[in-house]
Amino acid sequence: MEQPLLEIKDLRVTFHTDDGTVHAVNGVSYKLEKGEVLGIVGESGCGKSVHALSIMRLISIPPGRIDSGEVLFYGKDLLKLEFEELRQVRGGQIAMVFQDPMTSLNPAYTVGFQIMEALTVHKKLDQNQARDRSAELLSLVGIPDARRRLDDYPHQFSGGMRQRAMIAMALSCEPSLLIADEPTTALDVTIQAQIVDLVKRLQRDYGMAVMWITHDLGVVAELAHKINVMYAGYIIERGHVKDIFKRTRHPYTLGLLGSLPRLDEAPGTKLVSIPGLPPDLVALPKGCPFVARCTYVTDSCLESMPPLENVGDRDHLVACWNWAAIAEGAA
Amino acid sequence: MSAESSVLVKVQNLTKYFPINKGILFQSHIGDVKAVDDVSFEIYSGETLGLVGETGCGKTTVGRTILRLYEPTSGHVYFEGIDLMSLNESGMRAFRKRMQMIFQDPYASLNPRMTVGSIVAAPLDVHGVPDGKDKKERIDELLDMVGLNPDFVNRYPHEFSGGQRQRIGIARALAVNPDLIICDEPISSLDVSIQAQVVNLLEELQGRLGLTYLFIAHDLSMVRHISDRIAVMYLGKVVELADRNEIYLRPLHPYTQALMSAVPVPDPDIAETRHRVILEGDLPSPAHPPVGCNFSTRCPLAKEQCFTADPEYREIVPGHWVACYFADQFVK
Repeated sequence: MEQPLLEIKDLRVTFHTDDGTVHAVNGVSYKLEKGEVLGIVGESGCGKSVHALSIMRLISIPPGRIDSGEVLFYGKDLLKLEFEELRQVRGGQIAMVFQDPMTSLNPAYTVGFQIMEALTVHKKLDQNQARDRSAELLSLVGIPDARRRLDDYPHQFSGGMRQRAMIAMALSCEPSLLIADEPTTALDVTIQAQIVDLVKRLQRDYGMAVMWITHDLGVVAELAHKINVMYAGYIIERGHVKDIFKRTRHPYTLGLLGSLPRLDEAPGTKLVSIPGLPPDLVALPKGCPFVARCTYVTDSCLESMPPLENVGDRDHLVACWNWAAIAEGAA
Repeated sequence: MSAESSVLVKVQNLTKYFPINKGILFQSHIGDVKAVDDVSFEIYSGETLGLVGETGCGKTTVGRTILRLYEPTSGHVYFEGIDLMSLNESGMRAFRKRMQMIFQDPYASLNPRMTVGSIVAAPLDVHGVPDGKDKKERIDELLDMVGLNPDFVNRYPHEFSGGQRQRIGIARALAVNPDLIICDEPISSLDVSIQAQVVNLLEELQGRLGLTYLFIAHDLSMVRHISDRIAVMYLGKVVELADRNEIYLRPLHPYTQALMSAVPVPDPDIAETRHRVILEGDLPSPAHPPVGCNFSTRCPLAKEQCFTADPEYREIVPGHWVACYFADQFVK
């Protein structure tokens, strides 16, 4: 079998705070193939962003610490690279787009300068070449009159345009992996639709892999090939999009899908809410972290964390002791 | 909504401009941000009217102007037939008791130095409702009603999660037995699983207490879930208003159509097949709205007349209002 683009093995990340040790990521393992779009779904504090930042070694140490694990990118462990080697990967082969387009551009430099920076560093282009390429990139992401807009400062761009500029910047070095951390959360739906459409098109044209981190199941349904659902620092369900949505096996994923109202729902439908709150990451329960909110609890759930088990014929993994009972209920 | 339902609030030609001034010592008025521009609608007693639109379309300003938290530039708001804009401060106070608000950000809308008990009691004190032992009972009752343990009265807001804080905000709004609650994006800062809890609570309270809601949000699927009727705003104007199913099955305004199709559907089968209208460009600035129809700069249907004169906001079929020259072709 071909080497995967990215393979994460047993990644564990903690933060040491005054209130105790926060267990943000608790043993995450998965593979991401070339050209695959992976959606990472979960609520605030489930470790989805921390795990992505750890891939690029962008979490601040201290208070953070990567306790164990390997992040193999083309077979090389990013966690063990020297700083200079890591610099080649960051922004070059793996690019990242952040959630907040208002704060992730530097207000003191023109948009053009910020795009050209990556091109001169990674691609060793001279000023004129970099400028031409930047203008191309801006028009590629759908900013009209791109060459003139290079000299604009970020405050002259709207939110959607800034996110496009961020994407242009991320694409500038033709990365093989784009990590997008809630890139559309701060944007309106019509602008979100534009951005999703753009990423879909670019992903197809360039064949790059995309890791799309979000809490919005609707967006990943449209975009992703595979989905990891995270809860309290664990992957609790992973599989192809259709398996996750149509053959859901984890009670948390079921709860998430039930809490979403649908535009085509029948009148009078009541939302299925998940009772309670996510667990405190400083004091995780001994067994499954979802026990306090789960309706399927049995004795083994209180005893130990269930391992990820394959429940289908194509890489559909679920971490739940009772998935078989849930499958029966759904059938 | 049935014809016999009574109108609780009638908003008529409501307009709110925020002036743009230039200079520090000698200020001169150089323009206006037209946040709300000639908006009219009615809210029936006991219903939920959803108000949707994108950032900067003026939906929050509408909510606040109804309560006179902003003084309108012109227009009227009638509450049970009485023009709120004609009232003086003490006259207004009597009506404030009947109209409450739930705010968007549960972190910013609760005073961090007040206990939960005193936050919920504040409206009781202002409006002098019950006192002494009765007041204590009322607070316990309110906390219980929103699903919080009454033993929490002496805790501070920072001890609660976002969803719980929003419940405190709801308890505060309910304290004076209002008729109308303006919910200004009450769930947009909450996690998905918590959003459903709060929405279920709001629906349950409405059933129990006969409340009327103006539910302001940008999340179209949630608005459709909770509302009886929906008004869509674009750049300071209501462009379409209709029954929730009507507006979903037969959106007549091209903006509503685009907005509907932009909402991601959490179902991969539908996502694969459905047709999407992707709007070009961004929202124009409300300080310089386009000449003619506000939506003309992004509208896929725009023709010459759209760039010269604003289309009339009309009732095209009973109960379905729309402001577009070309809406008739979608009525079948």
